[in-house]
Amino acid sequence: MMLVWTVSVMLLSCWRADASTGPKITSEPIVVNNQTSAVLSCNLTDPLPVKGSHWIYNGKVIEDSVSTDSNPYTILRLEKITHTNAGKYECVFQTEPVSKQTIEVKTLPHVAAYKHSEHGNEKDKGVMVCVSHGYPLPTDWNWFKEEEGNHAPIINNTGLKFEIKNTPNKTILTINDLNIQDDIGNYICSGTNEIGSNSDKIYLRVRSRLAALWPFLGIVAEVIVLVTIIFIYERRRKPDEVNDGSAPLKSNSTTNHKDKNVRQRN
Amino acid sequence: MSKPKAKAESGGDEAELPDGGWGWVLVAALFISTSLVFGLMRSLGIFFVEFVQYFEESAQAISWISSTGLAAQQFFSPLGAALCNAYNARLVVMVGGFLAGFGLILASQATSLVHLYLTMGLISGLGWGLVFTPMVATVMANFTRRRTLALGVAFSSIGLSSFAFNPLFQLLVETYAWRGALLILGGLSLNIIPCGALIRPQQQRPKPKVVSVKTTSCAALLQRVFSYLELSLLLERPYLTYTLGVTLFNVGYFVPYFHLVAHSRQVGFSEYEAAFVMSAAGATDILGRVTSGWFSDLGYFRLIHLMSLWTALAGVFIMLLPVSSLSGSYAALMVISLLYGFCSGALTSLVFAVVPKIVGVQRMMGALGLLQLIESGAGLLGGPLSGLLRDVTGNYTASFVVAGSFLILGTLTMATLPHFFSCTDPPQRCSQNDKDACSHPELHQMNSIPSDTMVQ
Repeated sequence: MMLVWTVSVMLLSCWRADASTGPKITSEPIVVNNQTSAVLSCNLTDPLPVKGSHWIYNGKVIEDSVSTDSNPYTILRLEKITHTNAGKYECVFQTEPVSKQTIEVKTLPHVAAYKHSEHGNEKDKGVMVCVSHGYPLPTDWNWFKEEEGNHAPIINNTGLKFEIKNTPNKTILTINDLNIQDDIGNYICSGTNEIGSNSDKIYLRVRSRLAALWPFLGIVAEVIVLVTIIFIYERRRKPDEVNDGSAPLKSNSTTNHKDKNVRQRN
Repeated sequence: MSKPKAKAESGGDEAELPDGGWGWVLVAALFISTSLVFGLMRSLGIFFVEFVQYFEESAQAISWISSTGLAAQQFFSPLGAALCNAYNARLVVMVGGFLAGFGLILASQATSLVHLYLTMGLISGLGWGLVFTPMVATVMANFTRRRTLALGVAFSSIGLSSFAFNPLFQLLVETYAWRGALLILGGLSLNIIPCGALIRPQQQRPKPKVVSVKTTSCAALLQRVFSYLELSLLLERPYLTYTLGVTLFNVGYFVPYFHLVAHSRQVGFSEYEAAFVMSAAGATDILGRVTSGWFSDLGYFRLIHLMSLWTALAGVFIMLLPVSSLSGSYAALMVISLLYGFCSGALTSLVFAVVPKIVGVQRMMGALGLLQLIESGAGLLGGPLSGLLRDVTGNYTASFVVAGSFLILGTLTMATLPHFFSCTDPPQRCSQNDKDACSHPELHQMNSIPSDTMVQ
């Protein structure tokens, strides 16, 4: 009887020893999906001595959550969940060994365009960029063109008209050979992650190649007119000053320097 | 007859010297061309954002465009001066204006970054080099007593225009896309051509003696080129000393422009506060240029003394910049920046005006060209050096202190100029022909009158 009991105790302790690497924590909730606010809580189920606890967000310790009491229970309140505070939260208990548990707070991706109004030149290329913040980052990007209320999908045919380059947090749509009739309008970039999708709108303006030509020609005309005026003015003054060839100087004193053959440098 | 005051030109001849009249028209022309050269260069940053996105290149690769432009402008300055000596200033400036505009027009059609280096950088830079030095020299030749004021007024255009061009360029880029905006800028740059047309053709500078009739031998040609470029100046100690001093100024002068905003941010002020400090310094810069120009021409002090004063003060204030911000006080930073802005503007008006005092009015053109070329190296050195110091020490204190010390070093170099400590300007070197030229140096050089009619 004594032997059986000893063996079973030894087996039990062995089993306990190679159980999970850390003490067990129950977290509530396990994952936060698209909620406006949440209360994250961690409960240390193993009766180990706790020296303190804190929370970590995206690898950095949250200063306000550091506590030194031996409570095996800790909570973190997220009053307003937006893409700025979505991510991975870890509750950490100072035990031997340290025990931690991760809670993921997921939201819809926040999709924003770099510039809401882009422009390009006719026959040139137009570039539109959308970026995303939040957690998790979009796994899928889509571009649409708004035509008469419908969203017409844009397909990536690299090298021809449309080029789409995607990374998890950025998408770039390049339209080659812009056409004034067809390519002006609203473009919608949409990023999708496991929760859902979000989008933003960019308005593309196509300038005619000749649009800047008219002001340019106007300025060139003005330059030519000015130069002509200056030269004509000078030609008309030339006969008056056969001696000097220059504007009259301020002096009206007749000094003995003035000589008919003198040409003043002005 | 030499009066103790700096305006040593004799009383009876004062009325003969060009000062005002058509000269002010040329000041307006210089105002416009300087703003179209330097004001434009300083505002090209608006385009760089577009270039980075369009060409998908790094910001550093794009910034080489303006570096190339500035380097080309300074490198080709002696060329512009030499061509003015060989032909006339009007032609050179008009050609320069055309090239500057042409470069920008070509740039609007660029399809790769290399095109931009060649057009906006090289061609426009060449045009700018052919414009700036000749115009400055022409204006200086047209003034005697009010020379510094004329220069101060004209150079104030740089600050004013970079202030006005930034929003203008932004508007152009948004309305016409960068290609259209560059095209229009090219057209605007062509306005330098009428500015150049305003230069009245003047008496040709006497051809150097060594060239007799038409000889096409290599040696004669080389000698002509040598004389047009005024390379003989490189053998003269006063000019070399002055150039060395100005080069030292240039190493430290630009450092606050590069780093003041970053330093303010690092110390802890917000973006807007930092930007406002820069704008305030820019405003006092403009004020300093005009005020110093006006004051210098009153004649109470020699130009060289005033310049040494402003450069020494500017150096001191640059060194004080980090000290003021270490105390954390925004007011202190603002006051020192305002004072620095005023002093740095004040010294710019004088740097060019002193040149004819050292080399004489006739050689001023070539002297300015060479000066621009030599000081360009300093500008290239100063920025990276201060950046390096910042990377090594972690803050900008060392950079500012070193920059200020370069300015003070330059001032000390100036003190080794001959006749520095006398109260009157040094007697000009006699030109090749006339001994009487020594008595009325500037008058003689400008009028080239037969000297026997000169009065004391």
